[in-house]
Amino acid sequence: MEEPSPSDSRTSRRHFLDIILGASLLGWITSVAYPIVRYLKPLPQTGPTGPTHLTRDESGKLEQNKFVIVPVSGQRVIVLQSQDQLYAFGAKCTHEGCTITYLPGQSVMWCPCHDGRFDMNGRVLSGPPPQPLTKYIAKKQPDGTIVISEQHA
Amino acid sequence: MGWIDRRYQVTPLFEFLRHKEVPIGSHWMGWYYLGGVTMFFFVVQIITGVLLLMYYQPGEATSYESIRILTTKVPFGWLIRSIHSWSAHLMIVSLLLHMFSTMMLKAYRPPREITWVSGYLLFLLTLGFGFSGYLLPWNKLAYFATTVGTNIVKSVPLLGDWLLQVMRGGQDVSINTLYRFFAGHVVILPLAFVGVIGLHLLLIQRQGMAPPVGTTTAPRGMKFFPSFALRDLLLWLACLMLLITFAVFLPYGPGIPGMDWELGDKADPFAPAYPGIKPEWYFLWEYQLLKEFPPHLFGLEGPQICLFVIAILLGIWAIIPWLDRRAYRNLNSPAFTDFGWAAILFLTYLTLMGWDIGAKSGSDDPTSLQKSAHVCALWTLAAGAVVIIVRGWRFKHRWFILTGAALLQVAVHGLLGLPYLVAGVISAGAAFVIITAMFLLGRASRSSAG
Repeated sequence: MEEPSPSDSRTSRRHFLDIILGASLLGWITSVAYPIVRYLKPLPQTGPTGPTHLTRDESGKLEQNKFVIVPVSGQRVIVLQSQDQLYAFGAKCTHEGCTITYLPGQSVMWCPCHDGRFDMNGRVLSGPPPQPLTKYIAKKQPDGTIVISEQHA
Repeated sequence: MGWIDRRYQVTPLFEFLRHKEVPIGSHWMGWYYLGGVTMFFFVVQIITGVLLLMYYQPGEATSYESIRILTTKVPFGWLIRSIHSWSAHLMIVSLLLHMFSTMMLKAYRPPREITWVSGYLLFLLTLGFGFSGYLLPWNKLAYFATTVGTNIVKSVPLLGDWLLQVMRGGQDVSINTLYRFFAGHVVILPLAFVGVIGLHLLLIQRQGMAPPVGTTTAPRGMKFFPSFALRDLLLWLACLMLLITFAVFLPYGPGIPGMDWELGDKADPFAPAYPGIKPEWYFLWEYQLLKEFPPHLFGLEGPQICLFVIAILLGIWAIIPWLDRRAYRNLNSPAFTDFGWAAILFLTYLTLMGWDIGAKSGSDDPTSLQKSAHVCALWTLAAGAVVIIVRGWRFKHRWFILTGAALLQVAVHGLLGLPYLVAGVISAGAAFVIITAMFLLGRASRSSAG
């Protein structure tokens, strides 16, 4: 066994203090940063979830314009009517997130931001969008109201 | 480094900072740190203020509600609001200590007059921050306190009515007032404050801390870098820990009237006022002074005279560097040291009375007020006695005329029961007679000697 020289023990003492100091600094930064990080995280969205009935107003718009954009579980959903058939898709373009519109004359959904086009199955026809649109289920109830629900795989 | 230096010549700046020293002299070093502490609390205010802005929604239906959600639903929202409130109060405490310490140590003497005036402006801006921020949660207490507080500007000659409407955004305090106070609190005041504090700091860095009176260069110095700066940093850390301890354990304030920020009920312009509406503690002296003025005096309204008196006092405070002729020549000026203490005792007495010390809370009947004044007078006289003994014994001060006058007013009002203003006139008169007599005697002895 070799006796540690006095200078060695001084270095290791200093090293020990450095570690303690560094650890407490880290702990201090964490304890200051954590509340701020948590504070900045937005509160979860509250609102109705699950299948959504179109209001009378929304159904009227659908009749008139052949499409309407409604909230379903906090998401924008485009409901449209093409040859007496109801369709529903996520209205958020898969390219940069603009809200798409429906061109009844051409039976395509169109994103005006960067000229993306989707067919009646949500698939990309032309333009930059990389993914098809999310599909939703639109059903006409016996009483005439329209219900939109998420598609569960 | 070389790249920047060739373009912007920063080496002289670093050289300057490396040689900069803080004087170590005849008085306690601690006074030199108070400006830094005040600035630290201001930085905390900026950070927490920006965080609060991310949830606060000014508006009739949303101001109160958003603060309620902030403190009940948002993770750590209560903590951010609590830190902002605590830091505001602590900033004012350290600012007052800083201001009175620089005043009594005569740090305002040449060449630092502009530093004093800029610090004085920062003091007024800070009071503006406190006043405007108070209304933002749109709760009942803030609504009425702001109504009373803004009403004072009506007494400004000629411009009063216009000023009142500009401040309130209408005849009365309404949500429009809140919009104006919001703009002031988060944009106008911060911009002004940052500008003035920039000047204040520049002057201090350029000229260094004031050495003790009687010297131009301190006998010894402490290196600003790293010795003083590290001490600053350590103190700021201690302040942060103090702040967070208070904020966590007392999230709605210490429970002293004028220093609590429980949200309470939402403001309702159609609800009647109720007893116990008071401003924050640092405005209590003004609140109390307003109460001491009779409705009419010399053909003017009481509040007009009161505002005039306050303006005179604040005006004197602003131009002290030019009034203090002895400090101007770098000589001891015991009269101005005494003036500082007299000001503190004057404010103490009014604040204690504003706090209803010794009275049943909420009771406004004359005997209770008289009893309160009596108790407040005893406390103020005791404090005054301690101040005089310590100053005379420890610091060998011999000039107590203004402190004496302030205490005489306290005694005549609180113990003998004469009206506050009458007591003020008696003691001001007494001080005036004594000072004039001293001046004449001094001149006579000088001329006979010469």
